[in-house]
Order: sequence, then C-alpha cells, then structure tokens
Amino acid sequence: MEKNITLDSATIIELSCRLDNKYSHLKNLQVTWKRGNETIRHIDKTENSWSIQLKILDSSKLGSYSCILKGEEEISAIFYLQVPKIEGKEKPIVSYEGDSAVMICKSFGYTPIAWTWYKINGSEQIAINDSLLADKYVINSVSANVTHLKILKLAKEDDGVYWCEAAFELGRSKGSLKLKVLSLMVPLKPFLAIVAEVVILVTIVFLYEMYSKKKEKCAEDEKEFDQVEQLKSEESNGLENSSARNRKI
Amino acid sequence: MLSQRTGGLGGAASPGLTLRLCTLCFRVSQGTQGGRLPSSAMSPPANVGRAPGPPDGGWGWVVVVGAFISIGFAYAFPKGIAIFFKEIQDFFGTSYGEIAWVSSITLATTYGAGPISSILVNRYGSRPVVIFGGLLCGIGMVSAAFCTSILQLYICVGFITGFGLALNLQPSVIIIGKYFLKRRPIANGLAMAGSPVMLCTLAPLNQFLFDNFGWRGSFLILGAILLNCCVAGALFRPIRAAPASVKPQVTEEGKDALKKEVTEEAIEMSSPTNVPMENKMEEEGEKDCCEKINQYLDFSLFKHRGFLIYLIGNVLMFLGFFAPIVFLAPYAKHIGIDEYSAAFLLSILAIVDMIARPTTGIIANSKWVRPRIQYFFSFSIAFNGTCHLLCPLASGYTGLVVYSIFFGLAFGMVCAMLFETLMDLVGAARFTSAVGLVTIAECCTILLGPPIGGTLIDTFGDYKYMFIKCGAVMVLAGTFLFIMNYYNYRMLAKEEKERKAKEEDLKSVRTENEGRNNWNKETAQDGPELEPLREEQEGLKKEVNGTNEL
Repeated sequence: MEKNITLDSATIIELSCRLDNKYSHLKNLQVTWKRGNETIRHIDKTENSWSIQLKILDSSKLGSYSCILKGEEEISAIFYLQVPKIEGKEKPIVSYEGDSAVMICKSFGYTPIAWTWYKINGSEQIAINDSLLADKYVINSVSANVTHLKILKLAKEDDGVYWCEAAFELGRSKGSLKLKVLSLMVPLKPFLAIVAEVVILVTIVFLYEMYSKKKEKCAEDEKEFDQVEQLKSEESNGLENSSARNRKI
Repeated sequence: MLSQRTGGLGGAASPGLTLRLCTLCFRVSQGTQGGRLPSSAMSPPANVGRAPGPPDGGWGWVVVVGAFISIGFAYAFPKGIAIFFKEIQDFFGTSYGEIAWVSSITLATTYGAGPISSILVNRYGSRPVVIFGGLLCGIGMVSAAFCTSILQLYICVGFITGFGLALNLQPSVIIIGKYFLKRRPIANGLAMAGSPVMLCTLAPLNQFLFDNFGWRGSFLILGAILLNCCVAGALFRPIRAAPASVKPQVTEEGKDALKKEVTEEAIEMSSPTNVPMENKMEEEGEKDCCEKINQYLDFSLFKHRGFLIYLIGNVLMFLGFFAPIVFLAPYAKHIGIDEYSAAFLLSILAIVDMIARPTTGIIANSKWVRPRIQYFFSFSIAFNGTCHLLCPLASGYTGLVVYSIFFGLAFGMVCAMLFETLMDLVGAARFTSAVGLVTIAECCTILLGPPIGGTLIDTFGDYKYMFIKCGAVMVLAGTFLFIMNYYNYRMLAKEEKERKAKEEDLKSVRTENEGRNNWNKETAQDGPELEPLREEQEGLKKEVNGTNEL
C-alpha cells in the first residue's frame, strides 16, 4: 500500500495508519513508524489508528515514511512525501532549421517560486540565460504555473534534451523535454514522392482514356466500312437480279 | 442501312416489294455519280432525338471510386487536422478558441462556396473543376506549412483549402447523378462511405506525420496527399447528362416544355416547315438576363415544391446534426470515462458509419423503398433524433457504446441518402444548381449547431440539455419532411394523371390527322363508320387509365 503526498511549502503534516475492522481481532500488534532505517518515537495511538506528526521545513525532511504492523502477519504502508511534479513532454517536439520552437512546462496546482531552464549536453547541464542570448532564447511565464521557452533560429546543435526546473520552498522539481531539429529536406522527400505518384496516375488515366477513345473510333469506322461494303454487294446482287429478270422476260 | 430497312419490313415482305426497294436503291446508287453515299444520311438513326440514358455501370463504378476519394477528403479533412491544433496553439501562443476558428472557416468555406462550385460545373463540367480544386487544396496546405501567423493560417488552411475542398465535394456528387439512374442509391451510398473511411485513415496518419515531421512538415505532406483529388478528378470522364426521367419528376416547367413539344409537332404535321422555324427564333430573342443567370445557377428551383421542402427540412436538421459528435468524447470524459475509451467510442461510431452507408444505399435501391425513398430519409432523421433523446438515459460505458452504435447507424443512413433524395426530387439535370443552393443554406446552421450546443452545456453545466435539443430538432425535422413529402407525392401523382390525360387527348388528335392525311380517299368513305369506333376506343382507354391510377 502506497500513497503519494505532494507538498510545496513548509507545513506540519500528520500521517496515520488505520486498521480495517476485519483485522481488529488480531491481538498483540506492534506498530512502528520508520523513515528509511530510522525509527520515529512519538506515535499517537487511538483505538484503531497509529499516527505521527511531522514538521516539514526543508527538503531534508521529505522522503518515504512507512508504518509497519507486526502481528501474525506483517502489513506495511508507505507514504511518499515529495515536491510537486512538473509536466514536460514525453514525445519529442519536432522543428526545422531556421524556424523557432516553443517548449512549455506546467506545474499543476502549486505555484513555484522560480523557473530555470537547462540544456543537457551529454552529462552536463547548462543553464539557459535569456538575458545573455536575448536573440536566441526567450523565457516568459504566461502565468505563474506555466513557463515558456522559445528558441529562435534553430540549428542542428539545438537538438537534444532540455530540463525545466521549478524551485519550491521545499526543494526543486524537473520536467524533461526533447527537441528534434530537422532539415527541410526531410519532409521534402515524401512530398516529392507523393507528387510524382499523383502525376504518374493522372497521366495513366488520361492515356488510357485516349487509347480507349481511339479504339472506339476505329471500331466505328470499321462498322461503317462493313455497312457500305454490304450495301455495295447487295446493290450488285439487285442489279444482277433485275437484269436477269428483264432478260428472262 | 439498307439491311436495316429490309430487316424492319420483316420476313413477311412480298417479293414485289423487295424488287421495288432494290430498284429504288439501284436508282439512288446510280444517282450518286460514283461517289460513296454516306451511310448515315440515308438511314434514320436508331433513336430519333433521344439521348442515351445513364450507363448505370461500366465506367460509372470507376467514377464512384473517384467520388469516394473526393468526398472522403472533403468531409474528413477539416476534422482530421484537429490533431495539430494543440501544437499550433502553443507555437503561436493563441487561445484554443482562436485555433478552433481554423476548422470553422474551412467548414464554412467548403459549404458556402457551393453555389460557385455549381456555376463552374454548369459551365465547364465536373472534371476540370475537381482537378482545379485538388490543385488549390495542395497549394493551400503547402503555403500553410510556411505560415508565420495565425491569420495566415486562417487564409491558407481556412479559405484556400476550404475552397478547394468545395470544388471537390459538389462535382463528385453531381457526376454520380450523371452516371447512374437505376443504381443511383447504391452509388451514392458507396461514394458517401468515403467520409468515415478517410477519417479513420487520416486520424492515425496525421498522428504519425505529426510525431515524425512536426506540424509544418505534416502540412507540407498533407498538401501532397490532397493532390490525389486531382487523380479522382481525372477519373471523372465527361458524359452527356441524362434527360429528366418521366417518373415522379415532372415539374411545372417540364410540363410546359412537354406541351410546347407536342404542339410544335402538331403544327409540323399540318403546315409547311416555316412555322416551327419562326417559333424557334422568337424563343431565342426572349432569352433575357434572368434566363442567362438561370443557365449558370438555376434560381427557378425556388419555385420547385420538392426543393423547398428538402431545403427547409435539411436546414432544420443540421442544427442538431454535428453537435453530438463534437461533444461525445467530452461527455464521456465528463461522466468519468478515461480518454482512450472515449476516443474508442468515436472509432466505433466511424466503423458502424462505414458499414451503414453502402448498406443503406442497397436498401434504398430495392424496389420497395426506391419509390418511397423520401419516407425512408425522414424516418432515418427521426431515428437519429430519437437516439439523441435517449442518450441521457445511457449510464456508464456500456450504455454509451450502445448509443455510439445506434448513432453511427443513424448517421450513416442520413448521410448516404442526403444527396440521393435531392437528386430524386429535382432530377439529374437541375441537381447541379440545387446542390449549390442547398449547401450554402445549410452552411449557416452547420456552423451554428456546435456553438449553440456548447452554450447550452456551459449555461446548465449538464450535457443532457444539448442532447435533448439536438434530438428534438431532428425529430421535428424528420416529422416535417415526412408530412410534407406525403403531400408532395400526392400532388405529383395528381399532376402525372393530368399530364397523361392531356397526352392522350393530343395523341388522339394527332392520329386523327394522320389518318386523314394518309388514307384520303378511303377515309372519306369509311369516315362516318370509323369515327364512332375510334371514340369508343378512346372512351375505353380513359376508363382503363382511371382504374389504374385509383
């Protein structure tokens, strides 16, 4: 059993483990609260619950706290105390050389004190200073919970991983974004391939139409020719007949 | 030719007659002075003055494939690019409302440019218009890939691509009417199935393109994909439009034309050929600007009873047609269903839609439904409305799945018959202008539907009022169409009866004239005896007709 608790500023918090009614028949229960290996002394016990009070003043007090019930079986529950999570982007942002890219980080529900952007080169992180490189990077916050990093005039070197870090009273939290910079040739290839396919298909359709029209015309001409031949042959027959009749008479 | 003529006489021709014919052709062939007589000049053509009817098959099925592609792009594309909106919104730093305008402008232009599309098709035919439309779509999307502001996106994606799609949609529907008559509902159902198929294909394709190329690269490649509409256009071989069939499509103007024809023939019989010529010249002089405009876009349709019924019913229906689709996924998320299952509901809808459209086409083509297709259409609209009214009662995911299935079915049924019923009312010849006028009228309600639904949801905080509104509007539209079409069918049957009676009268006058001209001497003696017989025959005929129509 686990639970996540998000804290952004100094506070006093009470964590309690409560035993369900179906287990209340268990006797000889020993409950311990631990943080890591360290046991916490002061436990407030009520009828079916054991709780502790914590004063969280800085990041050292954050972490995982667990309550362990030892009886016939061992049941434990863990609380994770942490700073708010920052949402970056899982899928890479795709942009092009010479274009600009906008990267956005959001913090849900909690307002950070400050935002910092880092570019990750290999294993080192470089802070992005927008006042120093004002024509390359623009950082602004639309609202306190959201930060924008706009990178202008993209080049191949700008490709890579970026971190947006939010500073809270109780610590820092990061979101990660990936930027992919492509050259203009990359989408151009499929584009030209499809245009070529369209041109070929249209040409095939028109050629087929011209071919079948020619065939029809040939067939018509042949039919006309046949009919005229028939007429001529019948005329000659008739001529013979009438002359034969005349002769006979 | 000659062989045909002897064939026409049949085997009962006496030898004396054949001798006469042979000497006749002998004289003719001698008279030509050795030159070959063109065969067509001598024989009468097989069908005098009648254009051949629509092929109902053959190349028509290839045209259906082309229309499938064209219609699919026209309907699916504006919905498909919604995937890019989040990224574009972040890039330009605009609100969601401003981005959503792109979709609205595209849809509005596709429907609003209908009359322009109709005018161009009336003037140039379907094929050049579709090819030009495809080129325009491609240019629009390629230029959208290089946009630097949201306004430029409005123009490139909204106006230019939207206009190109409009030039694709109308001609595709029109050319089906030119190629099919007996199997037209099936052809319409198959062609309209392009919309869900394209949507199902475009959605994952767009996602793939976006993941690999970003939104700019995707727009570039989508521009190339839209050029495939030119291929569809190349398949639209021009064909002479079928004459308006006699069945229930005799309009008032059609009746006048028929009367003119009959009276002209009567005049020809009894007098020399000068008079018909004079009539024709008078007609041409009368062609004023009204007729010229009507040649491009037939505004006289507004006097057509069936057209007006269709227009009012459809404009009402579209108020509640698209809103449920737009809000289905948000409604599912609202009642606690996760995002992927909510998206799956739309996939179910699309798959059922895909199957429902051709099936509806086949059903609508059967001999029981085809004469009463307007009733079938009104029923499917009312069915659609009932689905929406029952939706708030659906609880949980299973209920929504059942709703999606029925909604997909009803949606497919209505879409498959949307243009078929208009063709049925107006006829293939005037359909070109009709579809343009109808789409621009529908444009307003299509755009108003989802925002009104959205306002209802925001005001009451509950989705059920939106569903009730959509359901009520569609049930109302369905009932209106049902009643008005019942009235229309009765009026058409009455007009048909009157027309047939008039034809009989004129026919009897004509046969009497012929009889007098051919057997002058004989009828002078037989006249008083034959006439009472003839009158009796006519009387019998009229009675028979009367009982048939009852």
